[in-house]
Amino acid sequence: MTARKELLISAAVVVLFAFGPWLSPLLHLDVSIVSEVLVTAIAVMSVNLLLGYTGLPAFGNAAYFGLGAYGAALSVTYGHVHFIEAVLIGMVAALLGGLILGPFLLRRRGIYFGLLSIAFGQVFYFIAYRYTDVTGGEDGMQIARPYAGLPSAHVTVTDLGFYYTALVIFVIALFAFRTIVRSPFGRTLIAIRQNEPRVRYLGLNTDRFIFVALLISATMAGLSGALFGLLINFAYPLELDWHQSGYFVLSMILGGAGTVWGSLVGAFIYVIGKDIISTITQWWQIFLGALFVVCVLGFPRGILGTLQALRRRAAQQFADDDAHV
Amino acid sequence: MSRPRLSRRSFVTLAGAGSAAAVFGIPAYIPRIGEAADSIKIGLLEPYTGVYAGPAENETHGFEMAADAWNKRGGIMGRKIELVKEDEQNDAGVAAQKARKLINQDKVAALVGTVSSGVSLSVAGVAATTGTLFMDSGGHSDDVTGKSCHWNVFRTCHSTWMETHATGYALQKRFGKKWFFITPDYAYGHSLEAGFKDVLAHNGGSVVGNELTPLGTTDFSSYLTKIDAAKPDLVLVFVQGDDYTNCLKQMNQFGLLKKYPVGGPQVELEPLFGLPPEARGGYWGIEWYYKSEKTLGKNNKVAQQFVADTLKRTGGKPPTARNAFGYITLDRLAQAMNDAKSVDPVKVARAIENVHFTSIFAGSAYYRKEDHQLMWPMWVAKIRPNGTPGDKYDLFDVTDINAAEAVEQTIAQKQAVCKLGYPS
Amino acid sequence: MIEHLGPQLFNGIVLGAFYAIVALGLSLIMNLTGTINMAHGSFMTLAGYLAYSMVLRHVPFGWALILAPLFAVVVGVVVERTLVRPLYKREPFYSLLMTFGLSLMAEEAFRLIWGPNGVPFSPPASLAGAASLGFMQFPTFRIFIVGVLVIAIAALAMFLTRTRFGLRLRAAVQDSEMIAALGTNTQLLYAVNFSLGIFLAGIAGVLAAGMLGLSPTSGNALLMPAFVTVIIGGMGSLFGSIVGGLLVGIAISMTTLFIPAASEVAMYVLMAIVLLVRPRGLFGEEGIFG
Repeated sequence: MTARKELLISAAVVVLFAFGPWLSPLLHLDVSIVSEVLVTAIAVMSVNLLLGYTGLPAFGNAAYFGLGAYGAALSVTYGHVHFIEAVLIGMVAALLGGLILGPFLLRRRGIYFGLLSIAFGQVFYFIAYRYTDVTGGEDGMQIARPYAGLPSAHVTVTDLGFYYTALVIFVIALFAFRTIVRSPFGRTLIAIRQNEPRVRYLGLNTDRFIFVALLISATMAGLSGALFGLLINFAYPLELDWHQSGYFVLSMILGGAGTVWGSLVGAFIYVIGKDIISTITQWWQIFLGALFVVCVLGFPRGILGTLQALRRRAAQQFADDDAHV
Repeated sequence: MSRPRLSRRSFVTLAGAGSAAAVFGIPAYIPRIGEAADSIKIGLLEPYTGVYAGPAENETHGFEMAADAWNKRGGIMGRKIELVKEDEQNDAGVAAQKARKLINQDKVAALVGTVSSGVSLSVAGVAATTGTLFMDSGGHSDDVTGKSCHWNVFRTCHSTWMETHATGYALQKRFGKKWFFITPDYAYGHSLEAGFKDVLAHNGGSVVGNELTPLGTTDFSSYLTKIDAAKPDLVLVFVQGDDYTNCLKQMNQFGLLKKYPVGGPQVELEPLFGLPPEARGGYWGIEWYYKSEKTLGKNNKVAQQFVADTLKRTGGKPPTARNAFGYITLDRLAQAMNDAKSVDPVKVARAIENVHFTSIFAGSAYYRKEDHQLMWPMWVAKIRPNGTPGDKYDLFDVTDINAAEAVEQTIAQKQAVCKLGYPS
Repeated sequence: MIEHLGPQLFNGIVLGAFYAIVALGLSLIMNLTGTINMAHGSFMTLAGYLAYSMVLRHVPFGWALILAPLFAVVVGVVVERTLVRPLYKREPFYSLLMTFGLSLMAEEAFRLIWGPNGVPFSPPASLAGAASLGFMQFPTFRIFIVGVLVIAIAALAMFLTRTRFGLRLRAAVQDSEMIAALGTNTQLLYAVNFSLGIFLAGIAGVLAAGMLGLSPTSGNALLMPAFVTVIIGGMGSLFGSIVGGLLVGIAISMTTLFIPAASEVAMYVLMAIVLLVRPRGLFGEEGIFG
């Protein structure tokens, strides 16, 4: 796909989302659920970076997501900070988490990496649950939505205001993601996924690349978590549980691992699909489980990945824009 | 094999695409079922999936029965009540989003429901931000009427403080002062611990053992083996739901139920049904019961009708406290809207406060103005392991009744932490 | 505190025996095909519910203990054939995700069939009491569990070492390509292996239902300890699963004695340590998962 065509399609998608608040009621959806799609897409991007591009099973990203949410929650409740500061503090909290866990996670690859991620994630989950005085325990923490803008101004963030803030942040995050994966750094990550020993033979320190990828992933997940906390005005321990990590991975697979827009597609299907189906029927969990099963068996490349593969097969050309699974 | 076959991959892809189209398209072409133009919509949030699915169903029965009763009489101000149900999945995030959907898209006049305290608090937060009325039927945390109280949040079931104080004094009278706690190591457990310690402080008792069981404990054997050495007068079990069933089953298998009296702040019929009869026993706080004069009052026709209707509706399963929570909540909400002749949240809230009423329980009650807690009696009961002849559900032998004011914190205590914040 | 040491240790061993049965099933399934079965807990719960329904219809407990797992195996065979087999060629994490989805469906199905509340299931009167062991009273049923484990291990060991099928199974774990080349029906082998694992899950499920409670969400709680056990004991080693189970059981009961708050987290910390220091676990084989 040419750069121009890509730009046009991207712009079209952004414009479509800009009309979100007016389009969503047609599907009987609230604007806040579309905000949730955008926020979740950032978390899915963080998983995509590790799993889709670098090939590491990232099953513990919920820990960073939760750190972001609680970082924002604590800073708003005790520090009385404003919107942007809360988000930044959440990101820093998640980044710190990544710095602490990173050296340990680096030592393993493959499924061991995945299991280690789960183990660490569960430890964080227990901490959030246990230290009731700080985190509110299983009752969670209410977050009064802080004001936006400069400290002197007091701009209330309405649901609509939040939506557009989330959209802007998402576009920035997506652009950053795209830049990262198309850069030499990103290429190296793809190479690591395809054959790590070979990359090492070429003289590159793969550990360093993976560590940076981990930190970026953690920070993005933290950004997502902080935004989510400010969206629902709440932070709670379940956000850190490995099931949550599993849902991020599912969304990534649904949308397309190793594609730039796959995260948004996957987040959209998962968040909105779950919302609609759970409104229609009490037995929605059967459908969600079935979706997992069908997706893993039938199209592991996800929607975008499958589309790209079909296109590639049709045009008989090498795609040098996205990594394919 | 030259005959072209639909490969599994293609079939699955087609099926997936087809389903996706159907799913996303559905809301557009099927209107919300039962949309009557002139109805009053009430949003009902319950955890229909997850560990609290049982209580959720029972609360829903109660809500629906109250709505039906009102609709038979013509509705509120002549408008029918329509319950719009959403599954909050026992997840605070989902609950907040569903609450927003109900308020903004379904345009509900009020929100009701929830079972777990975390979810109640999350929904209360959304209600506070949007100025929508929320009546918490089943979440027990003190904070809902304490530090997180709000002018548009009310609570029907008893608070954690009421639970500990209603049972604490009664148990101490019966069994003595050396207590052994089995406490789930998180917020709810800690607040129960604090409540019972408060009771002991007043009467000079002591805690001879306090086993904190972390989240996810399925095997209590390590904690139970310490009971013998502590020689308590009474073992108090604070764990709930599935954990309660596990713990008591294991206590029975270790022969502890025969050796020590056991009790706790609250038990519900739902987890008891999951316990084999030999593991049932002890004295527990209960929030309502379908078959006792102490809980229903003498000759309370409304209560008797409620029980009979529920038995018919569920095919023989009697109402539990959860049914009662749902019924009372919607009944009073509808009454307040009718009295106020309005669905405006401020007017309705004022119409709920401090109005004394009788309902499906003994005596009268009111939602206290200062913290919006329903002040109704709390009872203590002894468990009958096998029910009574002819009724295997008749598990409670109600022994004590406590007036709400005697077991809940005083107005002064509550006002120290709760600021309702009515809009001026 | 020291007077608690004996009972706690004994308790830990019995608990460990239980985890060992669960881990054995999980390990069997993992070793041959690299399938990570997140639905193992669901199969356990299924067998528990089936046993409950049987006992309700006056089937003796002993028969239910064998029949319920067999029915679970029937379901397992169908699942293996249709859902698990296509994933053998892919990386393990696909089976992890797929079986996770399966467990979600199973939970809802249990709610639909047997209701959202727990159901009362207890061991028969003969096993229900507490035996006096001198230093403590101990539930007879838990001693029964240890007995079942011993029999299960003996039976499994005999099957694997003394029968030709068992021999082929062990050979396939070492090198499935070679054994296929030698003419063995690998498809059948995979199916039988999976069934064995599910049978063990079923037995564990019926025992768990007797010891703990039985509700749609029962399976979840037991899944993680089982995984931790397999990792500690070593993926690829059945003996490791047994030892790992005992270690996890003892670790949990000992931590409860000294630092109760940490007892459930201790499991994950242990898992992390093992993964970092010696990922193949105590008895695992190098290169199972690269």
